[in-house]
Amino acid sequence: MIRLSGMATSLLAAITLAVFLLLYGPLLIPILSSFFTVSHGDVLWNQPSLSAYGALAGNGGILKAVGNTLIVGFSATLLSLAVGTLLAIHYCSGKSAGREAMQFAIYLPFLMPPIITGLALLIFFRETGVPRSLITVIVGHTVFVQALAYRTIVVRLQSLGPSMIEASADLGASAFQTLVHIILPNLRSTLIGAGVLSFALSFDETLITLLVTGTESTLPIRLWAMMRLGFTPDINALVTIVLVLTVLLCVFAVRQLLPEAQSNSE
Amino acid sequence: MLAGSRRAVGDQMIFVGSARHGYGPRLLALISYVLPAVFIIAPLASFLAYSFFRMENGQIVHDLSLGNYRRFFADAIFVPVLWQTCLLCLSVAALATLIGYPVAFLLASLKGRRRHFLLLMVLVPLLMSYIIKIYAIRSILGGNGFLNRFMLWTGVIEQPLTVFVFNLNAVLLTLTVLLIPFAILPIFLALERIPRSLIEASVDLGASSLQTFVRIILPLSLPGVITAATFVFVLAIGDFLTPQMVGGQSGFTFGRIVFSQFGTAFNWPFGAALSAILAIVVISVIALGNRVGQRST
Repeated sequence: MIRLSGMATSLLAAITLAVFLLLYGPLLIPILSSFFTVSHGDVLWNQPSLSAYGALAGNGGILKAVGNTLIVGFSATLLSLAVGTLLAIHYCSGKSAGREAMQFAIYLPFLMPPIITGLALLIFFRETGVPRSLITVIVGHTVFVQALAYRTIVVRLQSLGPSMIEASADLGASAFQTLVHIILPNLRSTLIGAGVLSFALSFDETLITLLVTGTESTLPIRLWAMMRLGFTPDINALVTIVLVLTVLLCVFAVRQLLPEAQSNSE
Repeated sequence: MLAGSRRAVGDQMIFVGSARHGYGPRLLALISYVLPAVFIIAPLASFLAYSFFRMENGQIVHDLSLGNYRRFFADAIFVPVLWQTCLLCLSVAALATLIGYPVAFLLASLKGRRRHFLLLMVLVPLLMSYIIKIYAIRSILGGNGFLNRFMLWTGVIEQPLTVFVFNLNAVLLTLTVLLIPFAILPIFLALERIPRSLIEASVDLGASSLQTFVRIILPLSLPGVITAATFVFVLAIGDFLTPQMVGGQSGFTFGRIVFSQFGTAFNWPFGAALSAILAIVVISVIALGNRVGQRST
C-alpha cells in the first residue's frame, strides 16, 4: 500500500472524480431517459413517469431477445464451469508439456481479438455443416468465457493443495465422497463467483455473437440492429433494469471470490 | 458430457490420493485434450486454411495459394488503413493508461471499505451494455449532444462542432472511454505489488515525495503500465462495432474492413487472410509488451 499526503490525495481524488464522470456519464443517459421524457436533447424534469417500464412489457421482440440471452447465458455458464473444473483438475494433477499446451489453447480465445475467435468458429461451423443457431452462439460463448472460469478454478485448486484430498482418501472416503465433501465445498464460492462473472460476460457478448448467430438474436444483437433507428423509451427501461441486476449480481460475485474483501469492509 | 466430467472428477481425486493408475485420469486427460482441440484449435486451423483459399464466381475454391496475402500488400488501401488503425489504437492505449494511472494510484493508496468501493466503481461500467454505452457516447459527442451544449454554454465555441462524431476522433474518444477500466486494473495490481519497505527506505533516506514517485514507484509500476497499454491496444484493434457505429464514412478501421468481407463484400478467404494479419499484429504487440515489461522489472 502506498501512503499519500493530504494534498496528493485530494488531487488524485479530483482526477478520479473526473474519470468517473467520463465513465458514468454515458450510463446516466438511458437511466434518465427511462424516467423522464427527453425531447431535442432537453430533459423534461417535471414529467417523471414509469410508462417506459409499462411499455416494455408489451414489447415481445425485445423480451424474446432477453429470453435468448438468458438461455445462452445459463448454458454457457454451466458448460464453462463443468468443462473449466474438469480441465483445471487435469492441469493441477501433474506437470507436462501437454498440460501447458492445453492451457495455452484455453487462453487463446481470450487473448485473441473476439473477431478472430468469431470468424474461426464461423468458418469451422460452415465447413462442418453446422447451421448457425442459438447452439452455435452457446458454443461461441463457452469457448470465450471458459478461459475465465478455468483460470479462477485453477487458482483455487492450486491454493488448496493436495493434502486435504489425500487425507480424505487415506481416511477411506470414496471418490464420490471426496468430491462431495471435500472438493465441492471448497470450490463452492469460486464456482459461484466464476459462474456469475461468466454469465455477465456472456450476457453482454456482442462481437463473437454477431458472427456466429443465425436468425435468432440475443439482446446485444437486437440492440445493435435497433440503434440505426434510435431507441424507444422502453429500451431505456430495459437497460436500466439490466444494469441494476448486473451490478447487484457482480457485487455478490466479487464478495464470493474475495471473502477477505467482505471482512475488510465491515 | 456433464455426467462424464463429474465421474472423471471423482476418479481423479482417488488418483491424486492413492493409486497412480486407473482409467479415470486417462479419461480426464482425453477429454482435456479433445475439447480444446475440437472447439479451439480446429476452428483456428480451418480459419488459417481459409486464408489461403480464394473466391471464384461467388464460390469458395479450396485451393491453397498466397493470393490473398499478395492482394493485401499489392492493393493501395489495406496497408495504410492497417497502419492508421495501429496508430489509432496506440493513441487509445496511451490515453487510457494516462487517464487510468491516477485512478489506479488512488486505488492503491486506499484500504478497506473505501478501496473495495472504488474498485467496484471501476468495474461497474464494464458490465453496462456495450452497445448502449456506444450509443450514449455517440449522443454525447453529436451535434446536439452534451459536449457541444456545454462548450456553447461556456462560450468556448459559438457554433456546435461536428468534429466529434462520425470520424476517427469519435472512434478514438469512444474507445478510450470504453477501455479506461481495462487500463486501471493492471496498473493497480502493479502498484499493489511494490514492497512498502522500498518506499519507506526512500523516504527515510530523505527523498521528497516527488523523488520517491519518479525514482521508485513509477519505474516499479511500469510493467503494469505496459500490460495495461497492451491490453487496451489489443481490445481496441479487435473492435469493429465501435468504429462502425461512431466512425461514419471517414472513420474506417482495419476491423471494419475485415468484418465487411464477411458481410457486404462477401469474400471469406480474403477476410480470413486479413484477420490472420490482424492476429500477427496482436501477437507481436503482446510479445513486445511482455519483453518490454520484463526488461523494466
